[in-house]
Amino acid sequence: MEISEVKKLAEMLMFKLSDEEAQEIIEEFKTFDRQLALLDKIDTEAVDEMIFPFDVKTSFLRDDEADHILSQDDVLKNVAKTKQGHVVVPKVVR
Amino acid sequence: MDIRTLEEMPISERKAYALKKVKGLQDKLNASITIIEDDEVKADGKLMGIPVALKDNISTKGIKTTAASDILDNYVPVYDATIVKKLKEAGAIFVSKTSMDELAMGGTNRTANIGPCHNPYDLDRITGGSSGGSAALVAAGAVPLAIGSDTGDSVRKPAAYCGIVGVKPSYGRISRYGIIPYASSLDHVGYFTTNVEDAALALEVLAGRDDLDMTSSYEEVLEYSKLLDANVKGRRLAIFGNVYDAISDSSIKEAFDKIIVSLEDKGAIIKKVYFDGDLMKCLFPTYFIIANAEATANHSNLDGVRFGHRIDGDSMEDVMMATRTRGFSSFIKKRFVIGSYSLFEENQERLLKKAQRVRRLIVEAVLNELKEVDALLAPASGSIAPRLDDPSSDELSDEYLIAENHMVIGNFGGLPSMTLPMGFKDDLPIGINITCNAFKEEEMFDIALAIEDITGLKGHVKEVL
Repeated sequence: MEISEVKKLAEMLMFKLSDEEAQEIIEEFKTFDRQLALLDKIDTEAVDEMIFPFDVKTSFLRDDEADHILSQDDVLKNVAKTKQGHVVVPKVVR
Repeated sequence: MDIRTLEEMPISERKAYALKKVKGLQDKLNASITIIEDDEVKADGKLMGIPVALKDNISTKGIKTTAASDILDNYVPVYDATIVKKLKEAGAIFVSKTSMDELAMGGTNRTANIGPCHNPYDLDRITGGSSGGSAALVAAGAVPLAIGSDTGDSVRKPAAYCGIVGVKPSYGRISRYGIIPYASSLDHVGYFTTNVEDAALALEVLAGRDDLDMTSSYEEVLEYSKLLDANVKGRRLAIFGNVYDAISDSSIKEAFDKIIVSLEDKGAIIKKVYFDGDLMKCLFPTYFIIANAEATANHSNLDGVRFGHRIDGDSMEDVMMATRTRGFSSFIKKRFVIGSYSLFEENQERLLKKAQRVRRLIVEAVLNELKEVDALLAPASGSIAPRLDDPSSDELSDEYLIAENHMVIGNFGGLPSMTLPMGFKDDLPIGINITCNAFKEEEMFDIALAIEDITGLKGHVKEVL
């Protein structure tokens, strides 16, 4: 894997990497690849993926009543910039 | 410090006692991110007036909750996690939001944005992580109960390194509502105490169904502390042979052997079991793929727009890019890149789905053995707490892949699992791990109580000078 590929991957995740960070990831991928070889040794033919520990599901629908509501003030308390009850962000449509 | 001893102190003095300790330890341990001075004392409940520390990924209304990450260093939740409500209702007083690995994604507590947390037994050593600050405060006798979270072994490993009790109950036993997530299919709330009785009592307070967490369980919550019984006569216990054999340190094996002999003397029926070696070598890579993939998705909301630290830019993309670039450490970025790599459609079959299938095989193998025995026992780690400046281990050795990562089985299968002290090596604590069938916490505590009787380490803490 090249530095440019790693940086591209990071940009898809919305952050940038320095050359040093990208190089560290390349090194980590080498160890990761060797660990993946361990997984390849396991026969998983006809085995279902395990997504959660138990197959117990919550199977009810709650009543359609408003519940656990945050006030507008509370919702905006952690927003860096607000104006008239809205979150202010850079212009999206130019 | 244990709950019973604290109860002998007037309620009005308990908070001041704990706060003085927490503050006095900060220079040495760096265990707190926020020290809570003004929490109210409630007059009744099972934890009436008992000081409690909370890992800093637990939402506390009006109290900063950073998950030890720069991206959340100004985040103040507007609601309490369910467990915070439960603890308050039980009369607990909060004194600290504790240090942790950034976003709980580590096992050393070296990656906290406030710097590493130090082990009370040797300040040059790690506490283990990710719940290291909580472990350190209990181990140093500042609080009798501290809450953590456990996605791979993030409560149980620090408990071993710091010489205390660390409990990760069954998946869904404790609500996760209001906990900043890491990997949702593996995340559990866990906690630290200095003895088994306190651990049993804490679960009574923390456990229970919560409609705000759809993965929480309807299983009945028992009065675990009243049901404790150290009699192990006839208990069927299995030594985890793969872990035992992977450990090279003979003194850790000897300490473990002594406990096994004593359990046998008390009437327990012991056998050693082995699982497929190739499968056991997959414990770490399976965890690494699943945890990082889930974390990458869970943390996509950390963009500085609605909460958290925002870096300005000319466009939304610039804001998010700058915020996330500055907000995450290199360590976290690495984890996210690897996590997203497993999520790409072209890689999913070979990586994520493969890991999820191997997870099933590992869990099925362990459950099959647990049909025959009540618990699986193993040393919690193959070593004492590593030094802070230690280079990382050989990540392809059996010692690393199996002995240092076996406790993740409890997260894969949602099985209750706990660590408690089994002795010392070079004056540093070592721990033993117990893993039982799902929702068999009562059995787990009974076995732990028998071991605590053998070690005589009930309530042991380290005075930090």
